[in-house]
Amino acid sequence: MAVSPEAVSVPVGAGRAAKSDLRKLGIIVAIALVLVAVGPWVLPTYMVNSLIRAFLYAAVALTVDILWGYTGILTFGQSAFFGIGAYAVGLIFTHVGYGPGYATLAFFAAVVGAMIVAAVVGWLAFYHGASPLYGSVVTLVLPIVVSQILYSGGNFTGSSSGLSGFESFDVSIEAWFWIAGVFLILLTALAWIFVRSDAGKVLVAIRENEQRCEYVGINVSRVKILLMIVCAAVAAVAGYLFAGVQMVVAPEYAGFVFGTELLIWVALGGRGSLIGPVLGTLVLDVSTSYLSGNLPFVWKLIIGIAFVVVIVALPRGLMPLITGAFRRLLGRGKEVRAESAPTLAAATEQPFAGLQGGGAQALAVSGVRKHFGSLVVLDGIDFSAQRGELLSLVGPNGAGKTTLMRCIADGGERSGGTVRVNDHDIGRLPPYACVAFGVGRKFQNANVFETLSVAEALRIARSRLVRPSLSQHSTTLELPEVALQVIRATGLDRDLQREVRQLSHGEKQALELAMVLALEPSVLLLDEPTAGLTKSERTLIGGILVDLAQRHRLCILLVEHDLDFVREISSRVIVMHQGKIVLDGTVDDVVNSELVRTIYAGGAAQAAA
Amino acid sequence: MTAALEVSGLNSGYGEALVLRDVALTVEPGEIFALLGKNGMGKSTLLKTVMGFIAIRGGSVRLFGDDRTGQPPHRIARSAVAYTPQEQALFQDLSVRDNLQLGLRDRSHFDEDLARIGQAFPFLPTRLAQRAGTLSGGEQKMLLVARALMARPKLMLIDEITEGMQPSVIERLAGVLRGERDRAGTAMLLIEQNVQFALAVGDRYAVLKRGEIVDRGAVGEAGAVERITEHLSV
Repeated sequence: MAVSPEAVSVPVGAGRAAKSDLRKLGIIVAIALVLVAVGPWVLPTYMVNSLIRAFLYAAVALTVDILWGYTGILTFGQSAFFGIGAYAVGLIFTHVGYGPGYATLAFFAAVVGAMIVAAVVGWLAFYHGASPLYGSVVTLVLPIVVSQILYSGGNFTGSSSGLSGFESFDVSIEAWFWIAGVFLILLTALAWIFVRSDAGKVLVAIRENEQRCEYVGINVSRVKILLMIVCAAVAAVAGYLFAGVQMVVAPEYAGFVFGTELLIWVALGGRGSLIGPVLGTLVLDVSTSYLSGNLPFVWKLIIGIAFVVVIVALPRGLMPLITGAFRRLLGRGKEVRAESAPTLAAATEQPFAGLQGGGAQALAVSGVRKHFGSLVVLDGIDFSAQRGELLSLVGPNGAGKTTLMRCIADGGERSGGTVRVNDHDIGRLPPYACVAFGVGRKFQNANVFETLSVAEALRIARSRLVRPSLSQHSTTLELPEVALQVIRATGLDRDLQREVRQLSHGEKQALELAMVLALEPSVLLLDEPTAGLTKSERTLIGGILVDLAQRHRLCILLVEHDLDFVREISSRVIVMHQGKIVLDGTVDDVVNSELVRTIYAGGAAQAAA
Repeated sequence: MTAALEVSGLNSGYGEALVLRDVALTVEPGEIFALLGKNGMGKSTLLKTVMGFIAIRGGSVRLFGDDRTGQPPHRIARSAVAYTPQEQALFQDLSVRDNLQLGLRDRSHFDEDLARIGQAFPFLPTRLAQRAGTLSGGEQKMLLVARALMARPKLMLIDEITEGMQPSVIERLAGVLRGERDRAGTAMLLIEQNVQFALAVGDRYAVLKRGEIVDRGAVGEAGAVERITEHLSV
């Protein structure tokens, strides 16, 4: 075997890696196109017919994989959009007539109709704060409602027998095979490019940690609704082609049984792999059409058992098994992460991006209250902070410090009062909108994306300022100077390709801090940013924070228990106790305060004083 | 005397990476052992491996003289081992009381133990009905220690418990842990970033660096503090 350049262990440049990926895709697409081209000539007619249907089903399964496998939206509803596409053809060709004009009309009716329904359903399922379970239930209700409407449509929809015998495209079966085949291949190739792009990583980030996505400024509901609309349009096109070739439509094609079958095909093939669900659908649907005639009941049982076995034994589906065998065959050994580490670079800084003016006052909190039922956690908090201030928030555990941070970063949190960030009232706006006003929040427990790499996580954090490409996988990672400082200080720059879940607790804390700084916030909320870090790392981070406040003129609000650390870096300290501010003054005021000693610091400070 | 915990020749890690290499340590009954080291050196991995959450690649784990190598977490926990992990350790949607009770096989001494432990963490007995997820970060850490103590363990594995606690509570916690050791002879393996606290409660210590133990000794030993500071700063 000749040694290919890739096999030699020299570091392959990132650009070349991306190019060789594209070349591989091109070769696979070319092979698939050749197979589709010769298919009708070598396969028996029954097989050709079965495959046309399977190609179209696979296209819908692909959308299920993007929604469920990549983005984590468990959807039962893609069948409804397939049905809408099919019925657009059935209804128009039956009741209005057939012709090129009507065919075009049916196409737009299919796509636009599906997109409108998807927008409404998406809005219902993913409005801000809806739970994932609720979203799944809505997608389950959709096909039930659509098929019920079709059942009760009388002669207009053909009720349970559907519509058949309408005039349709005068196209040979071979040509339909090519149309459906090329549609599936191009769709798969586009989907493959999309999920590997920077924007595709946003989907995985949403699956991993929706909350973190909101707090890096991503409007998660909007992304999900847009994705739902696009996937609905694709499913409707598949349904349109299906009705065109079969010349029959029935309510079952819009029903939730079909919607669930799609999920089974995707799960068996291997969700989150694109090619797995496509192959899974092709194999299962074609074998079903052959075997269900001979073994009508046993076949369903076999599929059911196979599903259970795969879920238990191979939770990632059959695809990893196939790719593993393929790699062994080629002698490549273990799975390697295809991308090489991106090159780090300093970004052009754009503080106050998207804000009108810098804002005279960084932060103004007045009369903020928060209660859980009868439990009052914040009881009328008033303070303001200017740019360049490093304001530490100290107080006993349970004083309400974290709750206060939450009320500043999410307009939906507080029970009363107002919060203004850079002179913008946050009103009831969700976290991503507060991020747009300049808020950056670091959580108390490391809140990151476990299955992304360090570089990918940082890139997601940059997506507010650098619009992620829908087709490209960037090979450089531009970060503001301060974010670079944090990752260099903690050694994360050597671990850019490591999966985040392999990092230690302290490294995750540092990564989250770098992600927040990558947002280029002007009001920075830090909840114990140095927890889990060693003394020397603390000192480093402390220096960076002082630099952020003094040189970059950020307003920093810091929750911290280490009074020595607070004393070294703060310009002002606020003491909270039982939901109220009990002291607001200079570092010396607070450290020497009797009150702080009694409620907070304990004997050590007393002894030291 | 049989050691409470005896780890020898331990290798462990995630995926390809080996995080621990040939680690050996013993914790005697009634001893508090502080495991120190910088971030990402394998401290938490060691506790997770002892608990059976991560597969052992080599070496052995013995608890109170019995070989427990490769046993699943529930079996380890049943041999009177209480583990307080660093992340996501409470049942967020259950009440404080449920969190304290769930792990107990025998609830007959719940009230007695709660009264004793509640002295150290006075908020606990007054807020038994509150949902654990609504406690503040520091309060959750206190609940975590309390839950471990309620199980009357013979060995405690404690991962950075002082993180997020206010200074006066950390001080009290040191008293609680030493008191429990003196009262019930509980052995403890303690991971800490707060070196001051670790040295205040610990009897012996070890420093872990890139998966290997590079220094060990008694806390009171001459030069120990200097050596530890040196290891943690480089």
